Order: sequence, then structure tokens, then C-alpha cells
Amino acid sequence: MIGKGLKVAAITLAAVGLFFGASAGNAQAEDVIKIAVASPFTGKLAGYGDNVKAGVAMKVDEVNVAGGVNGKKIEPVYMDEQCEPREAATVSTKIANDDELVGIVGHLCSSAHLAALPTYVREGVAAITPTATNVSITDKNKDEDGKVWSFRNVYRDDFQGKFLADYAQKVMGLKKVAVFYENNDYGIGLKDAFVNEAKDIGLDIVGEEAYKSGDQDFTPQLTKFKGDKPDALFIAGYYNEGALIADQAKKVGLDVPKFGADGLDNADYITLAGAAADNTYLTAPFLSDSAGPEAKKFIDGFKAKYGREVDWMSANAYDAAGMLIDAIAKAGPDRAKIREYLASLDAPEKGYKGVTGNNYFDKNGDCQKPAFVKMVKDGKFVPAPKQMH
Amino acid sequence: MFEQQLVNGFTLGLIYALIAVGYTMVYGVIELINFAHGEIYMLGAFLCMTFITVLGAPLYLAIVLSVAACCVIGVLLDIIAYRPLRKAPRLAALITAIGMSIFLQNLAMIIWGSRPLPFVKSALPAFLDEPAINLSDVTISWMQISIYATAIAMMIGLNLIITKTRTGTAMRALAQNRVSAALMGINVNKVISFTFALGSGLGAMAGIMVSMYYNTMYPTMGYTAGVKAFAAAVLGGIGSVPGAMLGGIVLGIAETLGAGYVSSPYRDGVAYAVMILVILFRPSGLLGRAVVDKA
Repeated sequence: MIGKGLKVAAITLAAVGLFFGASAGNAQAEDVIKIAVASPFTGKLAGYGDNVKAGVAMKVDEVNVAGGVNGKKIEPVYMDEQCEPREAATVSTKIANDDELVGIVGHLCSSAHLAALPTYVREGVAAITPTATNVSITDKNKDEDGKVWSFRNVYRDDFQGKFLADYAQKVMGLKKVAVFYENNDYGIGLKDAFVNEAKDIGLDIVGEEAYKSGDQDFTPQLTKFKGDKPDALFIAGYYNEGALIADQAKKVGLDVPKFGADGLDNADYITLAGAAADNTYLTAPFLSDSAGPEAKKFIDGFKAKYGREVDWMSANAYDAAGMLIDAIAKAGPDRAKIREYLASLDAPEKGYKGVTGNNYFDKNGDCQKPAFVKMVKDGKFVPAPKQMH
Repeated sequence: MFEQQLVNGFTLGLIYALIAVGYTMVYGVIELINFAHGEIYMLGAFLCMTFITVLGAPLYLAIVLSVAACCVIGVLLDIIAYRPLRKAPRLAALITAIGMSIFLQNLAMIIWGSRPLPFVKSALPAFLDEPAINLSDVTISWMQISIYATAIAMMIGLNLIITKTRTGTAMRALAQNRVSAALMGINVNKVISFTFALGSGLGAMAGIMVSMYYNTMYPTMGYTAGVKAFAAAVLGGIGSVPGAMLGGIVLGIAETLGAGYVSSPYRDGVAYAVMILVILFRPSGLLGRAVVDKA
């Protein structure tokens, strides 16, 4: 009995010792406030994740150099989910269970964000996604009391589709457009928005053809389109297939302007399509050349730090991190209060003025930001000569 | 438009035919479905590109080198992975073939990365993209003409090898009965190696032409093409070389017409439906002979 009692005492002592030891170690950690950055850092879309990381890291460094938030340094914790819904679900639980993480920048992909959302809503931790454009996020980001837990400072796919249809008709003066879309949530959502708007404004849709991810041969569909003599081709999909479509369109003799959204916005689009990439018009949430004077400092700083031109994902991530840090500074490192603060940015005059413009949210956590148009000219992305606001 | 779709389908079909021949020849001699054949096709494209960019080889030399390298890889594949299992149950060899396919795919990802790469455009003569024949509703580019010429020449050459040479005769003997062929003094392993080399060479050529035609290559490109070509081989009658050629062309045209007239997301579905229909009425394929199981 005595032996057992001693053992218990020893274990208790050891546990107490461990506890004190641990809290002594934490004394240092209390000088930092941690935020989670959830994106793909490995896998097929690791390049995109890198862009987000660059933007967040730049913002955090600036804040920390300037003394941090209320004397505490901000520490980003990067969580890799490979843009896989399955991984994102695991990562979201990890984040929710780690009380030190007060808020989230992420996720990058809509599908990953949708998989992580239920955890954030249930456990009460706010996320700002700089890049997820899928429409259905709006329906799934509220808890039972109607509180929004997921915000985004990027526009939605339905906005992009509508915007592009307007641009094609009103700015470019086009009359007949053929539509190519990838058979998935992104492609269909974008295509529907484009086609609906086209019907409303009297832009003629002469053909709608689907393809699936990984397809290589698009000549049957393009041959079909060619008979309808469209003025332009709308490609609702990603750059891999988009580049092949542009290339083959030129080869079948359908050398018309191409339209696309953020999915085509990648240097590989030009590499793969070569000269056929010219005359492609894209929506972009951020354009270096159209940004205000305040953004110039950011653009130059980014180039100095990373040695490359800033892309829209980095710019949006920079602002998303800025908003989250602002919320921590004004409301304190408390998950619920951070959410309250973000939700209170509900009008233009209350918005966060970042490098990508004025960031504020509607009651669904969606932002109201303009789109810019860029185009491919002589093998380079340049701002389109005519913008539409 | 219909004529143009036929032209498109014919181009695709010839490519399938070139790959399908490799499946069917190997099946003919050792009754193995070589699932790694699609990867040889993929390696053909990547090696050709690498010879141009790294060694600075001119296009024609790069093609020859790449095809030769793929012949060697095909033979090595047989020696390393399949020969030790020659007497093992057929399932063991089949699973090894799938394993080799995954291995080669991942090897390519390690070497060249997983992002799609363009073919070296500057190495291609510019006229290839120009139309060679331009009628009111049909355009055929020089690229397509080159594919036709190369594919048809290779198939005629293959037929000559199989029907006119001693090795070709040995291959046919092996296909009929391996034991008897060995008893007649045929060096079985040598003939099998030759079969792998021949099939791999044709597959590599198909890969090179596809990567030029579509201006893209990626490590998993062999999978879809391989499955399609395998379907073409079955459609034509597995084991029959003219059958594989015909099967490839039928499948290519069916797929293109399916995409053009039925529904583009179901293009593969249309192609496979044609294959299933043929198999339903002719279980041994278009040109396959119904054989009594040797076992």
C-alpha cells in the first residue's frame, strides 16, 4: 500500500513538475500570437500555396518589424492540405483544437475550403480566404445563429462570369461567343454565370461544349464551333487544358480572342499555348499597373524580397493577413471577438484599405471588389487597354 | 464539318493504332497485357524533348535516339520484370506490369516534374502547323500529313518484318505455340526481346508525335492513351496485328464523332460503347480468330 502511495505521489510530483516546466517554456510563447495559414504547400498546386505564403509572410514581417501587435509578435503557422478536401478536413480539426491559433488565412482551393468550413463554424474560429471563389461557400459559412465564420476578400465565380460577359459585349463589342467549360463545379458555375448574363444582355451563345480534366484533343468540339463562326471563345476551366484549347483553336483556323477567369491565370498558360495564347483576356482581382500609389510600395517591396513580380494571390493573401492582424490588434487575440470585428466591416467606409483596394464584407462574408482585365500580348500578361468598372 | 471530323478522328486513330500494335504483339507471343506500354509511349515524348534541350540534338536525331532508347527500355522491362515470372501464374506477371507502369510514371515525375511541359516548339519546322490541304470544309495540316505518313509507313514496315523475315516467322511461330517453337530451335527469349523492342519503338514514336501534335507532355499521359489503345487492341482482336491497326482507327473515329455529334463529355463513353458492341457480336474482335484455349 505504502509502495503504491509513494508511486502515486512520485507520478503526481513528476506531472506537476512537467506542468510547471511546460508553463515555464510557454512564458516565452506568450509573447507571440499565432495565426494559421492553411494552403497547399506540397502537391500539384504547391506553386499557388507558395504565392499565399509569400503574401502572408511579407505582411507578418512588416508588422513584427514595426513592433508587433500590442507588444506581441505575430507568428504564422503554415498548415499543408495539398488542396485535398480530405487533408483539409484533418487540418481544420488540428487548427480548431489548438487554442493558440486565433484565426485563419485560407484555404486556397474552394473544394478544400468547403471541406474545412463545418469545423470552423462548429468550433468557432474565423477564416479569411484570399482565393476561394466558389459560390456555395456563401451557403455554408454560417452557424445556427446566422453568424458568418468564413470571409473572403476575393470575388465569387458568378461575379467573374457575369463580368466577363459584360466585358465581351460592352467593351469588346463582340456579338457571338462559343463556350468551352470543364465538367466540374468551377467550370459549370463560371459557365452558367456567363451564359445567363449573356442571355440578359443579348450576347449570342453559339455553342456550349464540355470537356473533362486531362483531355488532350479538343479538335472535335472546335471543329463544331468553327461552323458557327464565333467572335470569341470563352474557356471556363484551368490553364492546362485552356492552353491546349487555345493552341488547337488556332490550328483549326479559329483564331479569335479567348476569354477566361482566374483558372487561366498562370504563366504555364503562355508556355504551353505559345503564340496561340495571344489575345486571351482574363479577370484578375489585382493588377500591379492599376493599383493605387499605396500599393506601389508593396509591389516594389515584394519584388525586392522575392525577386519576382507580385501575383494576385500574394496580394490578396497580404491583405487577408493584414485584416486578420488588424482584427487581433483592435479586438484582442480572442476567436469570437476577431469574428465580431471582421463581421463589423460591413460597409465601404468601415472597410480595410489594403493594396488590393477597399476590403469589406456583405452579410454573407463576401466582398465587393472590382475585377480587372488583363490580356496576353506578345507572350506576356499585360493589363488590357480598356478596363470596366 | 463531317469530313473534317473524320480527318481529326483518323489522326487520333492512327496514334491509337501505333500504341495498340505494341499491346497486341506482346500479348500474341507471351499472353501478357503489358500495362507499362503506355509509359513507354510517355517516355518516348519526354526523352525526345530531353535530347533536344539537353544534348542540343536536331529533331530527326532526337526522334531516332528516343525511339532507340525506348526499344532498349522495353527490352529491359521484359528482362527485369517479366522474364523471371515467365513460368509463374499469369496474374503475377499482370500485377508486375501494373507495378512497372506506376514505377515508370513516378520515375518520370521525379526526373521531369509533374507539371505539363510543352514540346520544344523551336525545334519543329514551322511549316508543320500550316495547312497542307485546304478545301472548302476540310483542312489537313502538314503535321497531320506527317503523322499519316509516319504511322502508315511504320505499319507497312512492321507487316513486312512479321511476314517476310525469319524473326517475324519466329514471332508467329511463338504466338502459335511457344513449346513447339522452342523445340524447333527458336531462341524464345531472343524473339520475345525483339517483340518488346519493336512494340516499344512504335509506342515511343506515337508518344513523340502526340506531344508534337498537341504541344504538351506530362508523366500520366501514358495512362489514358494506354487504356484507349488497349481497348483498340481488344476491339481489333487481341493478338492480331492488322486487327490492332483497324481497331485503333475505328476507336479514334468513333471517339471524335462521339464528341462532335453526341456529347463531348461522353466521348470516351461513346468510344468504349462501340468497343463493347463489337465484342458483343464478335467476341474475338474485328479481325481476331476464335481460338480454343491452349490450356
